[in-house]
Amino acid sequence: MSDINDLVKSILKQVNQSDGVTTTTDSHSEKQYGVEDYPLYEQHRDIIKTPSGKSLGEVTLDDIKNNRIDRKDLRITAEALKMQGDVAGDAGRKTLQMNFDRAAELTKIPDDRLLEMYNALRPYRSTKDELLEIAEELRSKYDATICANWFEEAAKYYESRKKLKGDK
Amino acid sequence: MKRQKRFEKLEQRPINKDVIVKEWPEEGFVAMKSPNDPEPSIKVQDGVIVEMDGKKREDFDLIDMYIANYGINIANAEKVMAMDSTKIAKMLIDPNISHKEVLKYTTAMTPAKGQDVINQLDFGEMIMGAKKMRERRKPANQSHVTNYIDNPVELAADAAEAALRGFAEEETTTAVSRDAPFNALSVLVGSQTGRPGVLHQCSVDEATELQLGMRGLTSYAETISVYGTDRSFTDGDDTPWSKGFLASCYASRGIKMRFTSGSGSEVLMGYPEGKSMLYLEARCILLAKASGVQGLQNGSLSCISIPTAVPNGLREVLGENLLCMMYDLESATGSDQSFSHSSMRRTWRFMGQFIGGTDFICSGYGAEPNPDNTFAGSNEDVYDYDDIHFLSRDYGQSFGIHSIKEEEAINVRRKAAKALQVVFKGLGLPSITDEEVEAATYADVHEDMPKRDKVADMKAAQDMMDRGITAVDVIKALADGDVNDVAEAILNLQKQKVVGDYLQTSAIFDENWHVESAVNEGNDYMGPGTGYRLYDDPDEWKKVTDIPQVIDPEHFDM
Repeated sequence: MSDINDLVKSILKQVNQSDGVTTTTDSHSEKQYGVEDYPLYEQHRDIIKTPSGKSLGEVTLDDIKNNRIDRKDLRITAEALKMQGDVAGDAGRKTLQMNFDRAAELTKIPDDRLLEMYNALRPYRSTKDELLEIAEELRSKYDATICANWFEEAAKYYESRKKLKGDK
Repeated sequence: MKRQKRFEKLEQRPINKDVIVKEWPEEGFVAMKSPNDPEPSIKVQDGVIVEMDGKKREDFDLIDMYIANYGINIANAEKVMAMDSTKIAKMLIDPNISHKEVLKYTTAMTPAKGQDVINQLDFGEMIMGAKKMRERRKPANQSHVTNYIDNPVELAADAAEAALRGFAEEETTTAVSRDAPFNALSVLVGSQTGRPGVLHQCSVDEATELQLGMRGLTSYAETISVYGTDRSFTDGDDTPWSKGFLASCYASRGIKMRFTSGSGSEVLMGYPEGKSMLYLEARCILLAKASGVQGLQNGSLSCISIPTAVPNGLREVLGENLLCMMYDLESATGSDQSFSHSSMRRTWRFMGQFIGGTDFICSGYGAEPNPDNTFAGSNEDVYDYDDIHFLSRDYGQSFGIHSIKEEEAINVRRKAAKALQVVFKGLGLPSITDEEVEAATYADVHEDMPKRDKVADMKAAQDMMDRGITAVDVIKALADGDVNDVAEAILNLQKQKVVGDYLQTSAIFDENWHVESAVNEGNDYMGPGTGYRLYDDPDEWKKVTDIPQVIDPEHFDM
């Protein structure tokens, strides 16, 4: 039964997250966006920013020509992904929203580290402890609670279903 | 035996080169229903699925566990699972029941239940189902853009022409995997030259594909494969949890993505566990749903020779496309691999997807002659363009593409090749000569292109990745070379990645970067007189009907 309890706990956590019940003071996570706000590009372009805080109007060809745009700055932020998650949820697509919620947590992780994390989840790559260490890293370093739960859940099932390093 | 003359001639017909086999359930050679498939069942306790399709939770493999935890709408599951499958099947073709209403039922089905509902439908009924259950109001199409030697200039020209022809998405892959960065770059520049707003991908291994996307060199991904049995999945070097995490990695970089699956893959990999292709595909569809991806490319795809070898094969293929839609997912419906020597059979391969209309009728259509298609040849290629236009005109039915004039093709091909020349110069890549630009403008096959130094190109492609080149550098190179409209288009594409509207289900862009997805342009089909109709779309209808081959009666010499 602990299996079921863990699952309920993890689902509850995700539901709480997706309902925007967070302790952050970020103004974006307070308002719930919906189908009527979509496309955000046409309706809310003013509040969407690049990771360095630039508004989209501040990103022009001229800026790029004059090296005023960092080559990695044209990326989605956690805030925009939460907004898209709201829209997806309002359109009745809860699993898509959950994916966007996980993704929002991953925006801060550097590309190379993210690729390593993905590779660690592939079959027979990691011991249970290695997966739990990544979960801890996700939680403490990146405040990525949902993804930490994801790794913990994988560690548990990989152990019982024999997908850990050495199980092959 | 003395041969009968008609039978002798029939034997020589192309169709008789196609291989067909008897059903063999133990090895998975059965399309829609195997005696080894489980009966649909579900038990829910305290909001958790404790039994599914005859299996108890403690006996679940990783796929069962993942689907049960995340894929099924548990709130409606017991009610829907208790319903007669014919009743759900009838809802699919009842014009009085909306797309949205049907989804309340179909998203609560287990894999075996989904299979059972599909088994109630004949081919015509599946077409009716697709008409209503496809996510986007207006169908679209996807092309393959490749050539046998990964010639970047020809890739850019072909990408531009395909974009102009109306393809909403373009997929490239490589002849040699180390060419991937150049292929991605060439199709990026070509597609945005042909028609701003076209999306493109580079199909390579999982990690490289993600890297290219992170750099902004691609705008979506599709070759994220899932399989219906645990051993096949493991052989594919992933688990449901790694694939689900990968889905979130893509979304975290603002990159659209869909999964890929298809009947016959488990047979080819040797682990079908005696189950039917449709049952295993139902599990794949639910894996995609559980991962929270917005869509799925399915319909047997590169394994098409397997289902089409057994009875009901092409009925099964449309059935799995429809089942994907029934789980509220974008459907990219294959028809992307050659499988038959018969023109008639080849045409019927896509008739259900074409007449029903899907989010992407092909995934993809060969935008080069088949010998240059490094996906091993598509069911349709460039030489079929006019056949397709005639069919669209005959049936008043959209194929997502339209006829273009020869001079338009020449202009846009030259423009794309020149734009790539500017980019290569700006990024310090091996130069593209004027002779190459001119050749790509008029080329049909890779033999029409001057030879390039392959080793230098490969080194430069690796170096480009090592230097951390991103779409921003590409935009700068174009702007510095005064190719401002293409630079602007690629910049707009990057801005869309910052906003993420196109991460929503079934999203594509029009030429003004207006997103069309299931959220704002959802399918509103409710029977005759409703939904998207090509003949009621004046601009697109004109492009399909007013084509160079048409003779104007005024010019008849009576």
